[in-house]
Amino acid sequence: MSTLFTTVRDTLRYKGREGQWLWVLHRISGLGILFYLILHIYDMSLAYFNVPVHEQLMALFKTPVFSALEMVLAALLVFHAVNGVRVALLDLRPALWARQQLATRLALIITVVIAAPTIIIMLIYTINAHLSAAATTAIR
Amino acid sequence: MKVHLKIKRFNPEKDKKPYWGEYDIEADEGDRVLDALQTVKWTIDGTLNFRRSCAHGICGSDAVRINGRNVLACKLLIRDAVKNGQITVEPILGLPLIKDLIVDMEPFFAHYRAVMPYLINDTDPGERERLQSPEERARYDDTTKCILCACCTTSCPSFWARGEYVGPAAIVQAHRFIFDSRDEGAAQRLQVLAEPDGVWRCRTIFNCTEVCPRDIQVTKAIGEVKRALITGKLD
Repeated sequence: MSTLFTTVRDTLRYKGREGQWLWVLHRISGLGILFYLILHIYDMSLAYFNVPVHEQLMALFKTPVFSALEMVLAALLVFHAVNGVRVALLDLRPALWARQQLATRLALIITVVIAAPTIIIMLIYTINAHLSAAATTAIR
Repeated sequence: MKVHLKIKRFNPEKDKKPYWGEYDIEADEGDRVLDALQTVKWTIDGTLNFRRSCAHGICGSDAVRINGRNVLACKLLIRDAVKNGQITVEPILGLPLIKDLIVDMEPFFAHYRAVMPYLINDTDPGERERLQSPEERARYDDTTKCILCACCTTSCPSFWARGEYVGPAAIVQAHRFIFDSRDEGAAQRLQVLAEPDGVWRCRTIFNCTEVCPRDIQVTKAIGEVKRALITGKLD
């Protein structure tokens, strides 16, 4: 815990450039993905061990707050993958180091290019699902 | 020009935790930040502690954090450092604080010694020096420039997280000998660097490359050592 505290404190104290903040975002996105995977495995195991709780959780995951969190997760996932490729390339081809700032910008641009349409599609799907659910409730 | 200096002060005999000392001085914009620190020490508060030796960017003893980023105080001009009339000066991170801007460099030098920073070659060179071609010399030229100021190692988040990590400076020193055609200790050094606290703790963040006062391509050198470990070849 003290190591985590020291790292967070010193990261905030030190005025690093893009590389440092991409590293921070890589860690946060990694933790976000890990949290999602644990939650997903737990929820799926309940489908076998405790069906009523599983269904309650599924209903909770369909609420607007969780729909928004799903979109954030999708963006984090794309960033984590793209930035991982950037880091691996710079490690395997050290001569590319001189272009690291370009690589940083490219990683962010590619993330936006992939994540933006994904989020728009998710948003349209989510809005339609909520509208049809509301309409069904109104008809009843 | 008038400069407002904010310096992190700490006296272990009096203070429970560091605090900001604030000083207003008159300085020429062509002065270095080290000159400003000396002005404070010589004319305002003689108790201010900081290291400096050559004062010309060669000895590497005055590494500090100016406006949040590692730099040699003797290499940064006041006009480049001043922001809204103010300069902040703090000790480098990741090493135990002794007093004011002075940190304990021993952990840093222990990592330096761990990579065996000297020529290893037991063969008899005969009556001549060990020759090498200009190309062979050029292979490790960049990493010969290190002055062990610790700017790189103490700007590395992996080092803040784990002080046992050898750090960029030690890897740069190892690189200087690993890729030297006259040296025969590459395997021993690579063995040290393949340990969990060796090169694999580097997360390719580039803080080290950005702060090196000698413009050494630190992350590239670390990458070359990583590649040598993966491929087993010194190319």
